[in-house]
Amino acid sequence: MSNIKRTAIVIVALVLIAVVMVSFKGSDVLDRAIILGIGIDKGDSGVTLTAEIVSPGNGQEQVGTFSKTVTVDGATVGEAIQNIAEKTGKEASLGQCVVLILGQELYETVDFTAITDYFINHHSFKESAVMCCCEGKAEELFNNSDALSQSVALSVAAMLLDEADKIGIMSNSLLQFARSQTELEKTGFLNKIKFTPSENKDAQDPDKTQGFFSYRELAVFRQNTFVCDLNEDEVKGLSMFLKDTEGETFVSDSSGLKLTVQVNSKDIEQKINGDEVDISITLSVRLARTDSDEVTGAITAKKDKEIDGKMLDDVQKQATELAELYLKKQAEYNFDLIKLHEMSRQKNGSSRELAEKPTSDFIVKLKIEVKEN
Amino acid sequence: MDKNRVSADQLALMYLLIIAGGKFLSLPSILAADVGHDSWLAMCFSFLWDGVCLAFLLWAIKLNSKANMDMSAILDKSVTKVVTKIILLIFFVIFALRTNILLTSCYHMFSVTFDVSTNWIVYVLPVAAVGFFVIQKGFNALARASQLFFGLILIAVIALLVSPLMEVEFSELLPIGEAGWGKILETSFTRSFWFSDYLFMFFVMDGIKVKKHVYAPVFIAFGVGVVLTVLLNAVFVALFGSYAPSFDMAMSKIGVFSAASTLNGRWDWLTLSIWLISVFIKIVTFIYCEYKCLEKLIDKNFANVNWVLAIIITLTLMLPMLVSTETLLSTVIAWGLIPFTVVQYLLPLLMPLFTKVALNKTEVKHE
Repeated sequence: MSNIKRTAIVIVALVLIAVVMVSFKGSDVLDRAIILGIGIDKGDSGVTLTAEIVSPGNGQEQVGTFSKTVTVDGATVGEAIQNIAEKTGKEASLGQCVVLILGQELYETVDFTAITDYFINHHSFKESAVMCCCEGKAEELFNNSDALSQSVALSVAAMLLDEADKIGIMSNSLLQFARSQTELEKTGFLNKIKFTPSENKDAQDPDKTQGFFSYRELAVFRQNTFVCDLNEDEVKGLSMFLKDTEGETFVSDSSGLKLTVQVNSKDIEQKINGDEVDISITLSVRLARTDSDEVTGAITAKKDKEIDGKMLDDVQKQATELAELYLKKQAEYNFDLIKLHEMSRQKNGSSRELAEKPTSDFIVKLKIEVKEN
Repeated sequence: MDKNRVSADQLALMYLLIIAGGKFLSLPSILAADVGHDSWLAMCFSFLWDGVCLAFLLWAIKLNSKANMDMSAILDKSVTKVVTKIILLIFFVIFALRTNILLTSCYHMFSVTFDVSTNWIVYVLPVAAVGFFVIQKGFNALARASQLFFGLILIAVIALLVSPLMEVEFSELLPIGEAGWGKILETSFTRSFWFSDYLFMFFVMDGIKVKKHVYAPVFIAFGVGVVLTVLLNAVFVALFGSYAPSFDMAMSKIGVFSAASTLNGRWDWLTLSIWLISVFIKIVTFIYCEYKCLEKLIDKNFANVNWVLAIIITLTLMLPMLVSTETLLSTVIAWGLIPFTVVQYLLPLLMPLFTKVALNKTEVKHE
């Protein structure tokens, strides 16, 4: 091969490589507003969207602030997200968003199907992101990062993803919630987040707000429309039926002392025969301690017996009362978070009759046993 | 000839990569739209037919191990040249369509998952260039590249699959056969275009080094591929339920449910990127097969890449600029179902017979 030919091939190859490289347009991280959490409230023009954003500095911006919140209005969620670009000068990136929070006025008064549909059908938004609602405005909730000294979005996501199921509270991802609103009886729940201020005793910074999030209540929805709230006791009753949650606590008197007993693991057997559902729950409990040695979980070292028969009876009575309290509420408001309809579907297949069947038509025979772990 | 030779083990590894390479993109959502949570059953039936056809094809490969005739030589001697050309033409259409559908899915994935956008021509040309490089270097080069990446790709697929397993309630797949067994079987047939991954073996059957075992490694690879694919499909429909038909990129969606990903970054992007290598190995294999089809159609065997054929193949890769994938699926593939089925399922079953006939004719000639 002549030198001229070789040189020509190298030049052509270089030109082609340059053309290919230039044509693949990625989006520079400096040009992106990376959204960690989104809060949506009812707005004058439609929705008010608050986004917690990590915006990588490019030398001209202040460095050191972990995240900031941006609030925008829009007729739709899509329009509001576009407006973030207008306010920040950067393209909104939803791929890292871990939490979606609905404000109280919005979820109590509006059918938010369009919002759920927008995020579930968004290519970048993770279906595994946590979805929940809050007391008051989502915008106010997101502006509590100073009080928490950390990102609100990451705090809420960590609470609901990592901690909730260890203290007897269930949580939902966007996908789970979206499915619950479109499948079978079309009911589901969202955790209700509350910011509770606490007293600031910091002499260095006495004006700083301090507080924490609590999430022991749920809101129930049918087809993305609010149905009712579940209080702490009803949530505790619901958790009796869910095998993935554990760590529920009960207080019992023993020899004049008030002792806390904690559910360590659960064994749930469900049988459905027509409208009759037999649910047998066995709770394995132990005395609650704060030592790391006493963390919950089925695979823990066996200890000598510490719980007497009276305490087990107490727990059984309390657990049954709570479970029945939940069942009463479920029948009253006609929702189904313990998946009685799904049990029936798994046995008999889907049908319109089943989807429309009131939850109160199911006759639940509940049996709760308690044993020491 | 030597540059196209592959061992039975290499063939098995490639086969496994090709099975895993294309079925985790849009197929799960298509099957979910047809038969809902029973889509894994439709997949099982399709793999069952594949297993039977694969056994016959391997039988033919074993019979051909000494003569080392290529597919068109066998068909020429057994079913006449005209029929051979028709079969090659159908093969060419199948490979061209599959290549385009895979390329479109990957293009879509790059765009929405990795946020990288480009134009179709610039995206396709490098892929075509790799294809022609493989044709120049021989099929063995692709087989060795597959060996190199095999371990990584398998680990990536398993990593993508294992984490969502914790999230899945497999009881959601009950009751089994709810869509109706007839409908499930029908779906298995109407979506057969996505299966029969052994087709590439027709184009390397003259270069397979058959020593003692050919069935064992290939069937082990087939078994592993089937288990991974069916399991992934079951996880997908159980996880996404009524939303499964809406999500046309199963692997990218399942990856989102990696246990560590939600709060610790996008681990799924790393595993997804590695898995995509298998899709490109599949695409390049198909481009190789397309080229071989064209060579045989014009009765030539070029030592180097023929640029006219290369241009024809490159032009076929531009098809998605003219017709959408949805249109291709709803028209061309639907119309071509019967001829495709003949090549995908009837031909492998008859291949041992054709090989015997061809061998007998060759022996008679020598005598």
